[in-house]
Amino acid sequence: MSDSSRFWRWGLAILGVLILLYLPVLLTERSILGVRLSNMQLLNLGLTQINLMLIAMLGALSLNYLTGMAGLISIGHAAFYATGAMVAAITGSQWGWPFPAVLVSAAAVGALVGVIAGLPSLRVRGLYFVLSTFAMHYIVVFVFQEYQFKFFDVVGVPYPEASISSFVLNTPTRWYFVLLPMVVLVFWGLKNTLSSREGRAMLAMRDHELATTSSGIDVRFLRLKAFALSSAIAAVAGALYAYYLTNVTSEFFGIHFAIQFIAMIIIGGMGSLSGALVGAALWLLLPSIITGFASQGGTDGGLFQQMLVENKSQLVQVIFGSLVIVLLIFAPTGLAGIGRKIQTRFVALWNHP
Amino acid sequence: MLHTDHLSVAYARKGLALDDVSLSVPAGGIVALLGANGAGKTTLIRAVSGLLPLHHGKILQGMVKLDGHDVTHMSPYQLVSAGMAQVPEGRLVFKQLSVKDNLLVTAAKLPRAQVQERLDAVYALFPQLLERSTQAAGWLSGGEQQMVALGRALILQPRLLLVDELSLGLAPLIVKSIYDQLLVVGETLGSAMLIVEQNARLALKFASSAYVLDRGRITFSGTAQEVANSDQVKESYLGSAKPESARQE
Repeated sequence: MSDSSRFWRWGLAILGVLILLYLPVLLTERSILGVRLSNMQLLNLGLTQINLMLIAMLGALSLNYLTGMAGLISIGHAAFYATGAMVAAITGSQWGWPFPAVLVSAAAVGALVGVIAGLPSLRVRGLYFVLSTFAMHYIVVFVFQEYQFKFFDVVGVPYPEASISSFVLNTPTRWYFVLLPMVVLVFWGLKNTLSSREGRAMLAMRDHELATTSSGIDVRFLRLKAFALSSAIAAVAGALYAYYLTNVTSEFFGIHFAIQFIAMIIIGGMGSLSGALVGAALWLLLPSIITGFASQGGTDGGLFQQMLVENKSQLVQVIFGSLVIVLLIFAPTGLAGIGRKIQTRFVALWNHP
Repeated sequence: MLHTDHLSVAYARKGLALDDVSLSVPAGGIVALLGANGAGKTTLIRAVSGLLPLHHGKILQGMVKLDGHDVTHMSPYQLVSAGMAQVPEGRLVFKQLSVKDNLLVTAAKLPRAQVQERLDAVYALFPQLLERSTQAAGWLSGGEQQMVALGRALILQPRLLLVDELSLGLAPLIVKSIYDQLLVVGETLGSAMLIVEQNARLALKFASSAYVLDRGRITFSGTAQEVANSDQVKESYLGSAKPESARQE
């Protein structure tokens, strides 16, 4: 690597870190260096949306690990979230465990449920396996519902305030500085897993299971391991989600919730960890941005503006649906694939102007 | 080194795919397994390498022995540890992984210190793979993919190599050069080989002995010379001068 490109790389990395550190200040003060910014200049975004995005990123990363890397399609990710939320309700709300212990217990139970959910993968393949994760989803959500009605009520399960020893997570900014390192850690950890021997075996398994077995690798064990890791991360995300919202009901974890993660990794790029991040960001932030633009449509009360304002939620869905279809047709590798292409072009241009 | 003992295999709700098949591959020997489509050649490879359950097949009787030990119901990955490696039919390279990663997948069981040395040995055997080491294996030509599949097996330096339809869809010249490399491997590593091949003429050139399978049964066996000279083999697989009508039973 040449010196100048290394310089640029480091420069960009430092700039990125600075932006990430400044973001919560920007979004809570809503001004930059004393200059006040309008709502639309901030794209109608608040820090809460960013935090929810970070939590969703954990889910998208873990699903992309399972589906994109290990080749196991699962529509059970909402169930792992629900598992995490329920474990958090038992250990956190009922037993009063400290927040870090709650997260650890969520991860442990999540891994266990993941292994159980992965067991059918030893016998069935493809669509049949997808259906088994579907069934698992309903079982877990049913259990959550029964639990909720037995110990709490229709209003939902309340969660205590999260705190890490004396650091109380009572503002979005504080949450941000807990969630961001977690996403970075998970991203970095999964990335390292993939370049290990085991990760390579997993990618091979996605390409050809039979050939992987006859290459001397126990694919059944590998599959269960992938499931355990992925669901542990998702369960932690579920616990974080519940604590962040301070109150959740079983209805939060519907099948729509599971499918949104699939949408994220398709938009972002199947099999790309950074794609999962981009997909989650788009999924969580774009609706708010579109809503912002729709509200901006003018105050004349014209037909166009009325249509926009009245149909905001439908508009968001239509734009999303179109985006997914366009991506599937023109960029089957997702946004990550487009990014790679641009990068290749750029590097080629850089080297041979 | 490898023996199958009165082996009978059936797939779910179908008749016998292998019927009382006994064959043996001596240590360091190259044995060809000949037969028409559907004769049971691939089934035999699956039975020996433990892949049968993945294809819903079942061993009804008999056993597979490796170095005198019963390995009939061992899983494929355990068999690899026992010294068996396989070049599957249709190559089955990991298309999205680079050539090097393809080789490293199987190398996962080796001690880390040994990996580079073994990798170099494979590259020495197939220099094209070194040139293409960072390319995705799916982008390679058929011949190169076959080299990847072979390299993936050879990096383990197996004591027994199973090769299924190496010539499938490849130009004769490439097939010949790959077989030549296999002979080199056989001589340097002393690996025994069981070679399944539709191209009987080619296989008999490289093998020391051969078995002929027909509808699940072994109908002829002997040294490569004997098999090549047998009327039955000549008639069915090598193409004799007899008129079409005479071939029918």
